[in-house]
Amino acid sequence: MAQVEGAERYWNPVLETLPRDKLMALQLKKFKKIVQWAYNNSKFHRRLYQDAGLEPGDIKTWEDVRKVPKVEKGMMREIQRKDPFPYGEMLCVPLERVTEFHQTSGTTGQAVYQPDTWQDWEWWAEAWSYIMYAQGFRDTDRIFIPFGYNIFVAYWAGHYGGEKMGCEIVPGGVLDTEARILKIQELNATALMATPTYVLGMADKARSMGIDPARDLNISKILCAGEPGASIPATKNRMQEAWGAKVYDHVGATEIGAWAYECTAQPGGVHVNEALFLVELEDIETGKPITEPGRRGKLVLTALDREAQPCIRFDSKDVAEWAEEPCPCGRTFRWIKGGVVGRADDITKVKGVLLAPSAIEEVVRSFSELSDEFEVEVTKKGDLDDITLRVELMPEEAGHRESVEARLVDQLRLKTNLRYNIEFHDHGTLPRYTLKAKRFKDLRPKH
Amino acid sequence: MNTDVEKEFLREMDQRIQAIKTAALELQDLSDGIQAVYRNADRILASVKMLEINVSDVLDLL
Repeated sequence: MAQVEGAERYWNPVLETLPRDKLMALQLKKFKKIVQWAYNNSKFHRRLYQDAGLEPGDIKTWEDVRKVPKVEKGMMREIQRKDPFPYGEMLCVPLERVTEFHQTSGTTGQAVYQPDTWQDWEWWAEAWSYIMYAQGFRDTDRIFIPFGYNIFVAYWAGHYGGEKMGCEIVPGGVLDTEARILKIQELNATALMATPTYVLGMADKARSMGIDPARDLNISKILCAGEPGASIPATKNRMQEAWGAKVYDHVGATEIGAWAYECTAQPGGVHVNEALFLVELEDIETGKPITEPGRRGKLVLTALDREAQPCIRFDSKDVAEWAEEPCPCGRTFRWIKGGVVGRADDITKVKGVLLAPSAIEEVVRSFSELSDEFEVEVTKKGDLDDITLRVELMPEEAGHRESVEARLVDQLRLKTNLRYNIEFHDHGTLPRYTLKAKRFKDLRPKH
Repeated sequence: MNTDVEKEFLREMDQRIQAIKTAALELQDLSDGIQAVYRNADRILASVKMLEINVSDVLDLL
């Protein structure tokens, strides 16, 4: 007889079913420890806390936790690209202990760099193991990962988490979509990880090749990230029908980690991994804590065990609400109803990439050959997002249209990681505004 | 969770975890600059940290 129940159902039955009072006590203990670590090892954090009149030893209760200053992405940008280069004074370990570099997409402004030690990287894989085990991944799975394996963390950690669980990982990095589909078929892969947009796009492509993913492929589980689609019922259903597979969501970010996941019970939301993260919900206007279900607020996130660049009370701008009922899966981790439903500011996701209209404006207005006016329109073509940028060429630049277009496409891709359709309009023909301009039009169907 | 049997079971696991940690740290001290020893012991310690997160850190709360 097993001495701890649930080893078949949970990655860690001890932590995932811990009674709430003990779980909160564990979180408070670990929160104190990570604050002390950051205070001792990072000039940024020490200054931040001293300016707030706070010493780590002052943190004794949950009320005290909320006195710890929040960190915003802008604060990270300010201190990075300085010594110790390129991470700046948030770094808590000697540079020689850093083994991994990743960065945010930079679509909300300058990219934030994320250093990780090997211990941190083990921790990333650990967090993903919680996710994948909860979604039914096991060592018998052969997982195909159609991901670019680049400077963005994306599915890197899923790759390592899958390895840790004993799964067989097929890295589909440099293959094009057609080759990926053929490889999935040839290897009889059982699982897939991709953005919802790409999951649907792959299904379209497969059908154009005469392959019906639901009938001709053996994918039984799809782990999604990067877009909210897997938590949107209509999109989830569309993916599940296309592939004949169960589709699961997870939520994470480069600066934070993979902090929430859907389980096989699929209650209509994602569990917060409260063993590794502290997730606070606060009123967007007042900043007061929201502990009760049914009220939307902004998420403030802490990674409780990350050493190189700790993430303590990070103001994520993500909007969510707590669910009411316990999940039938038996986990005591709280869950978020409907997943992350949006952001507190105007940033939106296009093709799985966070896009701030200000980033486009920054590029367009750096071109002296273009007028001040522009428009951005995001639509859906089939299941894929499509983005069009309309600009006006200055009359005297009429002969340079092709070169301007080429440089514009390059700069936009560099700054926003997205490809655009560029439309040139005659000077003076785009709408002019007298009050607030409405340059960004998201015409995608609302769910 | 939380029966005495389970707690004892976790305590036993923690004892082994701490023994591995001690051995890996001793190995690093003994490595005398041999990277093949030091770095592999370092990887063991990263895994030990995950074991501590999963088992040791919660012991005093049970």
